[in-house]
Amino acid sequence: MKMWKFIFKRILQTIPLLVIVSLISFFIIRLSPVDPLAELRLNPSISQETLQKEKARLGLDKPIIVQYGLWAKSFIQGDLGVTSAGEKVSVKLAERIPNTLILTLIVIFMTWSVGVPLGILGAIYNKSKLDRILTILSSVGMAIPSFFFAILLLIFAVKSGWFPVGGLTSYNFSDLSLFGKILDISKHLVLPVTVLFTLSLAGLQRQMRANMLDVLDSDYIKFARAKGLSENKIIFKHALRNAINPMITLLGFEFAGLLSGAALTEYVFQYPGLGRLILEAVMKSDINLVMASLMIGSIMLVAGNLLADILLIITDPRVRS
Amino acid sequence: MKRVARIILTVIIILVVCCLVIRKDNPNTDLTINSSDVKKNPDAIELDLDYPTPKTKTINGIDYLQSQLPVGKFGGEFISSTIGEGPKTFNPFTSTDATSSTMADAMYDGLFTSNPMTGEVIPKLAKNLEIKGNKYIIRLRKGIQWSDGKPITADDVLFTWKDIIFAGLGNTSTRDSMLIDGELPKIRKIDNYTVEFTIKKQFAPFLRMLSAPIAPKHYFTKDKNWAKNFDRFLSTNTNPKTIVSSGAYRLKEYVPAQRVVFERNPNYYLINKKGEKLPYINKIIYLIVGDINNQILKFEANELDEISLKGGDVARYKAKECKSNYVIYNLGADNGTMFLAINLNNRKNKQTGKYYVPLKKQRWFQDVNFRRAIDFAIDRKSMVQNIANGMATPLFTAESPNGIYYNEKIKGHSRDLQKAKELLTSSGFVIKNKKLYDKYGNRVEIDLSTNAGNTEREALGVMIKQDLSDIGIQVNFKPIEFNSLVNKITNSFDWDTIILGLTGSPVEPHNGKNVWNSNGPLHLFNQRSQNDISGVLPYPFEKRINDIFDKASLCLKFNERKKYYDEYQQIVYNEAPIIYLYSPIRIFAIRRKIKNLYPSTLSGLTYNIEELYIEEDKK
Repeated sequence: MKMWKFIFKRILQTIPLLVIVSLISFFIIRLSPVDPLAELRLNPSISQETLQKEKARLGLDKPIIVQYGLWAKSFIQGDLGVTSAGEKVSVKLAERIPNTLILTLIVIFMTWSVGVPLGILGAIYNKSKLDRILTILSSVGMAIPSFFFAILLLIFAVKSGWFPVGGLTSYNFSDLSLFGKILDISKHLVLPVTVLFTLSLAGLQRQMRANMLDVLDSDYIKFARAKGLSENKIIFKHALRNAINPMITLLGFEFAGLLSGAALTEYVFQYPGLGRLILEAVMKSDINLVMASLMIGSIMLVAGNLLADILLIITDPRVRS
Repeated sequence: MKRVARIILTVIIILVVCCLVIRKDNPNTDLTINSSDVKKNPDAIELDLDYPTPKTKTINGIDYLQSQLPVGKFGGEFISSTIGEGPKTFNPFTSTDATSSTMADAMYDGLFTSNPMTGEVIPKLAKNLEIKGNKYIIRLRKGIQWSDGKPITADDVLFTWKDIIFAGLGNTSTRDSMLIDGELPKIRKIDNYTVEFTIKKQFAPFLRMLSAPIAPKHYFTKDKNWAKNFDRFLSTNTNPKTIVSSGAYRLKEYVPAQRVVFERNPNYYLINKKGEKLPYINKIIYLIVGDINNQILKFEANELDEISLKGGDVARYKAKECKSNYVIYNLGADNGTMFLAINLNNRKNKQTGKYYVPLKKQRWFQDVNFRRAIDFAIDRKSMVQNIANGMATPLFTAESPNGIYYNEKIKGHSRDLQKAKELLTSSGFVIKNKKLYDKYGNRVEIDLSTNAGNTEREALGVMIKQDLSDIGIQVNFKPIEFNSLVNKITNSFDWDTIILGLTGSPVEPHNGKNVWNSNGPLHLFNQRSQNDISGVLPYPFEKRINDIFDKASLCLKFNERKKYYDEYQQIVYNEAPIIYLYSPIRIFAIRRKIKNLYPSTLSGLTYNIEELYIEEDKK
């Protein structure tokens, strides 16, 4: 009961947040000197009439505040509007979301299933050879800019010919058998997943190691050791449960990054995901599309935090009281 | 600590070695190459090779178009690419961007088309044309079909022109350019395979306008409210299987942000010499790539069959050509023009009551000697060498060198500082301490802008700044964001000089009317607006150009028409309101296995895609 009340309260709190986010982003986009019709204006074969028609269609002939009102009204009704090319924003997003999800889910699954155990190992064998190697590897992983690493891998793909150069599917994808399709997608995923994996693995491993070291250093662990409990029991039953709590908060942020976290990598690999779509939309001030993505981003962030809080309530009895 | 340092050192060494290995592959990156070297490619088919246009051939009452090229092999795929986001629509009547138009053109044929070599208008969907005074009688091919098997008839032509184009649906540019003294041509159906256009008076660009695509009436009008929903019709979400088209290819698949796949239209009306239905190639695939770098990587990984090469890449590709599976073609100058425009605006803004351009600067800009001095001070040759890597040709005229109306008599000039200084002195300018002052003692200082982010134009700006400093002009070069630039040009007019590029039509100079007519919407160098305080007359040379464009559009004979356009180019050269810098050269690399290529300066490399075929060379 208490928990439901908490959730309800949190959801109420997000409403003013979303209003503020939408206001700020709408006005920043509209007040920036980006004119969505600039390309058309400089096209010698476009007549004044066509330009006027486009202006009216995009609602650019009305004051900004009215534009915002119109946008907000349709957003509340669940209509995300149309892109500057006249396509439905919801359809555009729906085309891309699955692609991005495939990528980010695989990456999150892999980093967590590798990063957390490595972090624990690093903490347990603190200052050993293994820990040093892990430290170097993760430092390298954190230091390489994703953009640069992605380009290096692309060059590698061209030179070796082992992997396709960007994209998600080959041109003859629709003619392949089911097995062939899966193989084709996996081949395309290897490089972008490698980039994102290396990057987030490093951070996660460091985080987990630090948490674990903190806990291992605390009095109750010393007490447990003094009591003569087996090391396995100390680590997995007592230390781990406490060390994992900050990771749950982190998981909440990962959730927020599900749809938008891979934008740069997507761009370099020409991956047909949400990030590339939004980047292109921002470049030409495609307001409905940008707004929709920003709103999705904020909602995901709020939802991720909420999710993390709920998980914390479940795992950590101290938070409950 | 020591160990960490050792490891870091190793990592650095490995990285350096990696870099060197990668470098070693392209030792010729710094090599500059002359554009003429590319042309003299022993393997390439001569550029001047005559392309035999297809001819009409009637078999069993069906008026086919017969290809005159060697008979090829059926099958295979051709993979090309498009940079950017991909098509925004498949509707040929609403598209405004190049990618969408390319896609729509592959799917829909027009009544006429241009001869790819000479630019002359030749029949396509139409069988022939008869001109009786102001009446154009067009006979259609009998027995040819849409991709769904329905016949293509006069009703479709009538529908396209009357209900779509003249009704003002979609992109109205075709309609606008068809207005002759404010009146649209009239169209009438004579019988199922004959239509008649009546125009008010002779209008030279008219015939070429008839190459607009023809829409299948039965498909476009399936929806009762088709006219209201026209802008959304054939959007990128349309199920490809339902699309009815007339071109050599029909849409098979569109995967957003990845690719567009076309398959051959089995009902296409082009046959080869053996009487087999073309096209040869089964599938045309356009991969949607985000930027040029990705395109190059994909070409090198053999994922693309064709690529347009830019600047420095040409030398690298040329060096590897003989050992590779591609051929490089130099198609010469393209339709693009890079120029420096000078703001000749001499009017006041109604709202502020002030001149758009300060009076002091107006006296400079409106002085033809000042403009010509700039023209002479600019070093086009080193621009071509240093900025375009030699992949451009210096330009002195408003028409691009591949255009059929290009004035070849204008030879241009090389950089001549002496001449520039003479021109300035004759207008009372004085150079003191390498600084230029006008006759009232004002220091000559002008602003120059272009769109930020366009590295080519930014480099041009820097060179112009240097070139002009040699005649004492202080240039403040400020690249600004593209949209702000457009706002300056079309709205606020508060600029001095601007570097810009425009793409014109090599076969129809009349399209340039938007730029050159003194009331045109893109009359860059002296843009008029509703905010002007009226009553200021156009300059005499502007009036003469208005006159030339009006008169030339009435000339049906090529030679007479060319005289007018020659004169306008001469005027632009003499008056220099827009100083042309160079035209880029198009260089393509294409796989050797693609046969039947007849590269043309006017139309590009793969304009005859339906006649191309694929055959791997035997080794």
